[in-house]
Amino acid sequence: MKLTADQRWDLIDKISKETVYVGEYQETLRDVIGELTVKPMTGIPVAIAALYAFWSLFSSFAGMFTDGFFVPLFDEHWLPWWQTHFPDDWGWVYYLVVGDPAADNCLEAFGMLTSGLFVAIGVVLPAIFIFYLILTLLEDVGYLPRLAVLVDAVMHKIGLHGYAIVPTILGLGCNVPGVAATRILETRKERFVMMTLLAIFVPCGAQLGIMQDVIPETMGLVLLYLMAGYLMTGFLLNKIIPGKSPEILMDVPPYQKPLMRNVNLKVWMRLKSFLAEAIPFVLLGVLLVNLLYLAGFIQWLSDALAPVFVLWFGVPEETTGPLIAAFLRKDLAVAQLSVIEMTWYQMVTAVVLVSIYFPCLATFMMLLQEGRKELIGSLLVLITVVTLYGGLIHLIGILAGVA
Amino acid sequence: MRLINVYFAILGIVTVACGLVDLLVTISTEPFAWGIVEFPGELFRGGWGGLVIIFAGLFYISGARNVTDIHHLANILMGSVMIWMVAGCDIFARVTESIPGGEEGWFNTMEGFLGYYAPPYTSAIVLLPFSLVVIRYLCAKK
Repeated sequence: MKLTADQRWDLIDKISKETVYVGEYQETLRDVIGELTVKPMTGIPVAIAALYAFWSLFSSFAGMFTDGFFVPLFDEHWLPWWQTHFPDDWGWVYYLVVGDPAADNCLEAFGMLTSGLFVAIGVVLPAIFIFYLILTLLEDVGYLPRLAVLVDAVMHKIGLHGYAIVPTILGLGCNVPGVAATRILETRKERFVMMTLLAIFVPCGAQLGIMQDVIPETMGLVLLYLMAGYLMTGFLLNKIIPGKSPEILMDVPPYQKPLMRNVNLKVWMRLKSFLAEAIPFVLLGVLLVNLLYLAGFIQWLSDALAPVFVLWFGVPEETTGPLIAAFLRKDLAVAQLSVIEMTWYQMVTAVVLVSIYFPCLATFMMLLQEGRKELIGSLLVLITVVTLYGGLIHLIGILAGVA
Repeated sequence: MRLINVYFAILGIVTVACGLVDLLVTISTEPFAWGIVEFPGELFRGGWGGLVIIFAGLFYISGARNVTDIHHLANILMGSVMIWMVAGCDIFARVTESIPGGEEGWFNTMEGFLGYYAPPYTSAIVLLPFSLVVIRYLCAKK
C-alpha cells in the first residue's frame, strides 16, 4: 500500500496522539535549587560556601594524616632507622640515600629514601586522595557544570569560556590531566591561554599539600597572589594573542545522588595514575638535586643568580636550589624552601616564585605533546611573567614595609 | 503570617548576626566565647566561614516571606545547606583533630578523644539543629 506525503503525516499525527502523553511541566524543588546555583546573585554565595567546604575538608583530612600520623612515623621511626642502619662510611651514597646525618626530621634530611618518601607518601598522598574524592563528588553531584556557567562571564574576560574552570580545577590536583583537559576548548587561542595559565599560576595538589604543611599561616596570601596573577595574565594574553574565543552551549545535568561505585572507580583511577608519576619523579628529583649539590653546580648557580634573586625578587640566594628542584617536583621545592632561613614575606615570595617558575617535568612533557610552538610560546610568556610578577611582589612588599 | 515563616525570619536574623560577629571577631583577631558559642577569630573559619554564615542568613530572610512557595522554600533549603556545609566541616575538623594521639602515642586516649567534643562550639554547629527544621517541613509537606 502506497501512502502520499499527507497521508503519512496524518498517520504520524494519529500514532503520536495515541502514544505520546503531553503533560504539564511542574517545577520541582530540585529544579529551583539548580537555578539558584547558576544565577550570579545566589550562585556566587553558594560557590563561596562550596569552596570553603572543599578547602576545609582538604586541610582537615590532609592535616590529620600528615601531622598526626606520617610526621611521627617518618621523623621518629623511619629516619632514625635509616640513620642507624645505613653504613655511614659510604660517604656520598649515604648523602644521596639518607641525606644529612645531623637532621632530626625528614624535611631537613633531604635523602632519597627519607625526604623523598616522606614528601610522596606522607604529604602528597593524603592531600591528593581527599582532593580527588571531593572533586569527583562535586562532578558526580552535578555542581561542576553549574560552576562553569557561573564563571563564564569572568572567564570571557581572559579569553576563555566557563568550561575552562574544568582544566583549572583538575590542574589543582595535578597539572598533567589539567593540560590534557584543555582539549575540550575549541580554538588554538583558548588552548594556548589555558595551558600557559595552568603551567604558571595553578599549583598542583602535591604543592598545595606541602604548602598546607609548611606555611599554613601565609598560604592564603600565596594563593591570592597566584589568583591575581592568573586573572591579570589571562586578561593581557586575551588582548595580545590573536584568535577567537567563541561562545559555547553547555548542557547542565540535574542534581543527582552520586553512585559510590563510580566515585570509587574515578578516585582510584586518578590516584593510580598520579602515584605512578609522582613517586618516581619525587625520588628522582631528590637524587638529581643531591647530585647537583655534590657536583657544586647549585652553589655555582646560586652565586651567578644571587644579584637577581636578592635585588630583584628580594629572596635569599639559597632559593636557587629549590628553584632547580622545582623543575622536577614543585612540592619538593617548597619542602626545601621551608628549611631556608628567611622572613615570612620572603617565604611568600619564594613560594610564589616556585609556583610560577618553570612547570614540573611531567607538565613540561605534556605541554610538548600538545605542540612545540605552543610550548615555546608558553615558556616565553612564563619567563616574562616570572621576571615581572616576581619583581612586582617584591615591590608590593617594599611599599607595605614587609620586604 | 504563618509560624514557619516567622521561625525562619528569626533564624535568618540570628544567623546573620552570628556571621557578623564571626567577621568582627576575625578582624579583632581575639577569639571570643559566649556561653557555649565560640567565635574562633581566625581568617579561615572566622572570616571565610563567617561570610558563608551571613549568606546563609540572607537566604533564610529572603525565603521567610512565604515558605509555602517553592522558590522561597528553595532559598530556605539553600540557607540550611550552607549551615550544614560549615557545621559539617567544623565537626569533621574536630573529628580529625581528636583521633591522633600527638606525643602520647599513635591514637588519642578515650578521655582526650571525648574532650574534643566538649563545648564551646562554633556558631555553625550551634545553628545546626535549628536549621534541620527545614527537613521536618519538607517531610511533612510530602
